[in-house]
Amino acid sequence: MSRRPRTEADIVHNRIAVLRAERQVSRKGLADEVGVHPQTIGYIERGEYSPSLALALRIARFFALPVEAVFSLEPLPPLSETVYGRNR
Amino acid sequence: MSYRASQEGSYLVRTFDDDRYAWARRSTARRRLVLVEATLIGALVALGAVAAVVDRRWSTWYLVAWAVGLVAFIPLHAFLNLGIRGLYDRAGRTLDEHQRQLRDESYIAVRLPSIVLTFAAIAAAVATVARTGEAALGLAIGFLLWLGAGLLPYWHLAWILPDEENGS
Repeated sequence: MSRRPRTEADIVHNRIAVLRAERQVSRKGLADEVGVHPQTIGYIERGEYSPSLALALRIARFFALPVEAVFSLEPLPPLSETVYGRNR
Repeated sequence: MSYRASQEGSYLVRTFDDDRYAWARRSTARRRLVLVEATLIGALVALGAVAAVVDRRWSTWYLVAWAVGLVAFIPLHAFLNLGIRGLYDRAGRTLDEHQRQLRDESYIAVRLPSIVLTFAAIAAAVATVARTGEAALGLAIGFLLWLGAGLLPYWHLAWILPDEENGS
């Protein structure tokens, strides 16, 4: 089955780019840790590819976060709003 | 063997990931290579048809054109393969889940035209031999069409792959 999103509803939103920037991890560094090609991380970050459950769990484990903190079916709010409860 | 372990020590995989060939991975370069390859194969088939209809034999000029065309095809296809990171030429264990999906999607997308072209190759070879009595000419034309059928997934993938994003 294809995991390329075909409609807006199929897109799996994620915070990988923000988390990478926060932890100062390169795409290659993350890719090496979770066992994929660096370009695949780019495809996931841009919402052009929805990762398998196993890969999503490996990425969440790398960041030591629950999977729902990294991936969501709804657009993810900014981290500042999530942490401080305000949108600025 | 895991994806990561399979990447280590593989000269072929390192070549396909070599940044010196980043130019070949741009969509404009990939599409140009597809057009040139398809034109080359099409031209060689057309010349073969001319040789079968006009000369009705295995002409020296066609042998030269066929050989030169296929020699020219080698570097063209090498660059095209670099453009798609060799997804069809690498062992499955060296691909991650997304790369395997890209490879399989293009293969499935051109499955029907590929089957049609394979039968066309057989039909063209038989028709050429029947018309000219030259088995070599029939095999040359049939081989080109069969090669084209095998190249369809490469061309499809090279055509649809979006530009890669650089940076960390």
